[in-house]
Amino acid sequence: MTAQDVNFDRSQLGVGYPGGTFVVDKDDLLRYCKATGESDPLCNDEEAAKAAGHPALLAPPTYCANFVRSLGRPDIKLNFGRIGFHAGESIDIHAPIYAGDTLTATTGLKDVYTKTGRSGTMVFVVWETSFSNQDGQKVADVQESHVRRE
Amino acid sequence: MTRYYEDVELGDEIGPLEKIATDQSVSDFCDVWGNTGPSRFTDNESAQAEGLAGAIVPGIMSMSYMAQLLTQWTEGGSIKKLDVVFRQLVSHNSPLRLIGVVTDMNQVDGENQVECDLYLQNEQGDRMVGGQAILLLAIKG
Amino acid sequence: MFVDMHSHSVSSDDSRATVEQYLKWIQVLRKRGHQVDGIVLTEHRKFDAHEDYSSLSSKYGVTVLKGSELDTRYGHFLVYGVNSKLLSAFEFSDVTLDAAELVKYAKDVGAIAIPAHPGRFGIGFCEYIDSGPDFSTIETVEYLNGGSRTGENERGQELADRRGFAGTGGSDAHFVSAIATCLTDFSQTIRNEQELVEAIYTKRFRPVRLEETTT
Repeated sequence: MTAQDVNFDRSQLGVGYPGGTFVVDKDDLLRYCKATGESDPLCNDEEAAKAAGHPALLAPPTYCANFVRSLGRPDIKLNFGRIGFHAGESIDIHAPIYAGDTLTATTGLKDVYTKTGRSGTMVFVVWETSFSNQDGQKVADVQESHVRRE
Repeated sequence: MTRYYEDVELGDEIGPLEKIATDQSVSDFCDVWGNTGPSRFTDNESAQAEGLAGAIVPGIMSMSYMAQLLTQWTEGGSIKKLDVVFRQLVSHNSPLRLIGVVTDMNQVDGENQVECDLYLQNEQGDRMVGGQAILLLAIKG
Repeated sequence: MFVDMHSHSVSSDDSRATVEQYLKWIQVLRKRGHQVDGIVLTEHRKFDAHEDYSSLSSKYGVTVLKGSELDTRYGHFLVYGVNSKLLSAFEFSDVTLDAAELVKYAKDVGAIAIPAHPGRFGIGFCEYIDSGPDFSTIETVEYLNGGSRTGENERGQELADRRGFAGTGGSDAHFVSAIATCLTDFSQTIRNEQELVEAIYTKRFRPVRLEETTT
């Protein structure tokens, strides 16, 4: 079996879509820090963040990954497997993200491929997403890989 | 305290950072994440219905732990890139150990880049999550 | 000569290490007193025929050879001495290749295919050796794999010891600092892929862990 044998909507490969708009809410940031045990004062204490030259609370480096789940994405009609997992994630950080920022995402299907592992034949689906802030500045590129298993 | 580029060498160890993803912390994370309601992340029965041994830690939560390891180590520096592979499912309520090692250093386009390998290990030393990061450090003077 | 017989660079979908980073890390290992003389890049489901690592090899004083790790319906196989005949005969990206045919054909065209991590659950030769096809020509397996989980190396070793197979060692590195954690100690110098294949057929080698290479 090769990637050519995987049934999915190949017309989606490389096509970009508007993924949605997300507000970086200060309270959500603080709850995220509490949940993950993030103790950096720049992420928890607004005064400390401003004293360090930041305009507002600083979001932890991987915070925007939280928004990926809510992205508007097309159904690629993948016909394989009965269960899926998150296989990997990569974040390229271009600029800080702050409480109060509004992030706009664009997303697209990058790749679909097959391999075998301990759990049998798997199909990997790779998505790419770019986040830009309200000033049009790109803040992060996120690539996620999801695996479907038989 | 600032960690400077000149003070780093290939092979330098990063960490360890010890974490435990409790049931409560995972539930709180999922609330912020917007993944509310019983799921493989928050509920053992839901996880077992999917063939898992029990509730698991979201991959991006493990990733946030790796970011913490790095930001604590850079002491004023920043993360340019973090790339992780979720090799095995991570369970709740068990000690997790995050470690890294410096594997490359390059001064590129005005940036002082330090690359490192990262691992999230369980109690048995199994590498549940592996990663690689590029960090940016300041130089002295 | 100590050679890491199983490694993946960024050319493999799940590796994060460049070849140069591996070679730089080997300098760190050498400073720590270890001996690492060569690596074989065994990329997943492909062979990078056009990649030339000779200048990196010279720069860092490490022999760099190329091979492949193929997914087959009988587990993963490491292939050394990949040549145009082999590439024409088999679609390397096919995860359901017939390993019995691969092993036989490889030998016929001057290459060799050996089971990778034979004890690994789901994709190790242990689970397929008695499944029907003729694997009687297999004489060597990967004995030590640096990426195997607890129990997997031991499972493969039990098979190898029972069948009298020779065993290689390889790191199965996907990250820089994992290179050379396991190696193969050859009794002869190996300068290219053809000499590697010949050396494997002699069976004059042993699998070792990095710690055993301390000078």
